[in-house]
Amino acid sequence: MTDQLEVLLLDDEPIVGKRLKPALAKIGCNVEVFENPRAALDRISEKEFDIVVTDIRMDEIDGIQVLEHVTQKSPRTKVIMITGYAMMSLAREAMGKGAFDFIAKPFQPDDLRKVIASAAKALGSSIDFTAAGIDNA
Amino acid sequence: MKVKSSPKNETVSGMEVSVRPNPVEIEEKARRALMARHRFSLKLQISLGFFLVFLLAVGIAAVMVHSMYQVEHKLEFLEIINDYVIEIQQARRFEKNYFLYGTNLDDALDNVYQARDIIERNPDELKQILGKDNHRMVVSNIADYQRLLEQLEDAERRQENILEHRRTREKIEKELREKGHQMVSLSQGLMNRLRVSVSETLLRSRMIHIYFLALLLIMVVFNAYILVSRILRSINRFTKYAQRIASGDFTPIMPRRRFRDEFTDLALAINKMIQELEQREEGLIQLHKVRAVGTLTAGIAHELNNPLNNIMLSAHMMLEDYNQMADDDKKDILNDIVSETNRSRNIISNLLDFARQSSSQVEPLNLASLIRDTIKLSANQIKLAGIRVEFQAADNLPQIHGDVQQLRQVFLNLIFNAIDASKKGDKIQVFVIPADEPDYVAVKVVDFGTGIPEHILNSIFDPFFTTKGKGKGTGLGLSVSQGIITKHGGRIKVSSRDGEGSTFTVTLPVTTIPADLKSM
Repeated sequence: MTDQLEVLLLDDEPIVGKRLKPALAKIGCNVEVFENPRAALDRISEKEFDIVVTDIRMDEIDGIQVLEHVTQKSPRTKVIMITGYAMMSLAREAMGKGAFDFIAKPFQPDDLRKVIASAAKALGSSIDFTAAGIDNA
Repeated sequence: MKVKSSPKNETVSGMEVSVRPNPVEIEEKARRALMARHRFSLKLQISLGFFLVFLLAVGIAAVMVHSMYQVEHKLEFLEIINDYVIEIQQARRFEKNYFLYGTNLDDALDNVYQARDIIERNPDELKQILGKDNHRMVVSNIADYQRLLEQLEDAERRQENILEHRRTREKIEKELREKGHQMVSLSQGLMNRLRVSVSETLLRSRMIHIYFLALLLIMVVFNAYILVSRILRSINRFTKYAQRIASGDFTPIMPRRRFRDEFTDLALAINKMIQELEQREEGLIQLHKVRAVGTLTAGIAHELNNPLNNIMLSAHMMLEDYNQMADDDKKDILNDIVSETNRSRNIISNLLDFARQSSSQVEPLNLASLIRDTIKLSANQIKLAGIRVEFQAADNLPQIHGDVQQLRQVFLNLIFNAIDASKKGDKIQVFVIPADEPDYVAVKVVDFGTGIPEHILNSIFDPFFTTKGKGKGTGLGLSVSQGIITKHGGRIKVSSRDGEGSTFTVTLPVTTIPADLKSM
């Protein structure tokens, strides 16, 4: 399948989106980047994404609330949580609430790509790493 | 590790920075002052007091024995005078017989001799009772009586003729009767006087008994009173010391009296204990600081992940696309890496500042900026907990004198506690304002969290008291904080309402005159 995966990436650190958008585009993801969780929630309400990648700790609205919003809105969407140190309890809570997987900061772009690949597999699509021109896959 | 104070601290507004005097030196100074006085031990006072009371008791016993003896003597003398009166009365009876029947003249004379003998044997007592004139009168009276009787006897013996004899008898009889009568009345007077004197002596003896027993009682009570009041005063003083020490004031006990005694030994022992406590508290403060550093580190470790992640992602993407990448993009990525590295350094520099400095320095400082720095230091914890901090400081607050490190530790602890009590989305308010008392500045840390139940409000400053779960709190935070604040001459108070939050108020004295802590 060559269908593009629709991915929403939410992290209040701008550099995360700036670097990951091209990284994920290489493996065939159409990435929409958000820094503001409220704007992201609005977008999720509008559009059904295949995969949502969200940071757990943010001001105002945290990743768990995003997760809850997504599972309520679109149960088939896979949610991947980005966590930090000292947030393992939150990560476990997220898993309990139906997150697909979590990934701990700091991570390499490939770590996320692999998680996205397995999420894509679970969704029934596949990701071609070689097409992205990545040698260490 | 002892770190030299940074140059910044030594030049704060040109005022001198003093290092806290060593507790061992302070204790030694107090010991010398305490020992410099003369010793007047409790043991000595007790021995002396009881010895004086004993001496008094012996004196009183002697006086009583003497007065008993006097009474006894008077009574004996009363007996003697009674005999004298009987002899005289007997003599007069025989005198009467003689004039009626011509008999018993010898017997009358015998009685007079006896009576005179009695009088002559006790001249001093009689003089004392009768007075000199009366005594002379009594003596001459009985002598006259005796003389007249002897003249009669003489006449009798001479065997004059009846007429002459009768004349002599009649001549003597009149005088004899007169003298006899006078003698009886004098002896009765004597008897009466003696009775009065005996009852006076008895009364005096009874009064002596009563007065001296009362004096003894007063002396015993007075002795007990000065002894007990000396002991009680000292015990009260030491109770106050104990309360003072419990509140964290470790100034040693200084001389308060002009002599030393067993309580001085106690004071020396307590001073030694204070010194040990102070050294141990220094250790506790350090331990507590290490814990605070630990808490801060956890927050920093989390916060550090963000720039690290940014650096990691940027570096990796540059590696992946290095050949295809335009120079501008490369520059952008490298700039990001540099700025994120700077960000990392800033995150840890506050903690390093706090963790590094360990020397105890007293210096003039601005409380508001100290609190602002402390809030900055705990920013990661505040962010992690999802809490807002509102900070307000009154303008133109006077400076205080204190140890930046220790005070920061206190306020960090109060902020950590407020964070622990709050929920995500709550706020914490921190105010620096003039205190209600003049010359004091107050810092209020207000949270709107769980509050402290009234029944434990009094225990929260006790060492090892904690409401946090096992492994979460040592129960030393507030205890150590109270110790630090007391040492700064301030106070830490709490008011709380269950379910509505708590307010911790720290009041610290402002520096009016730079405290000469060096000479302490």
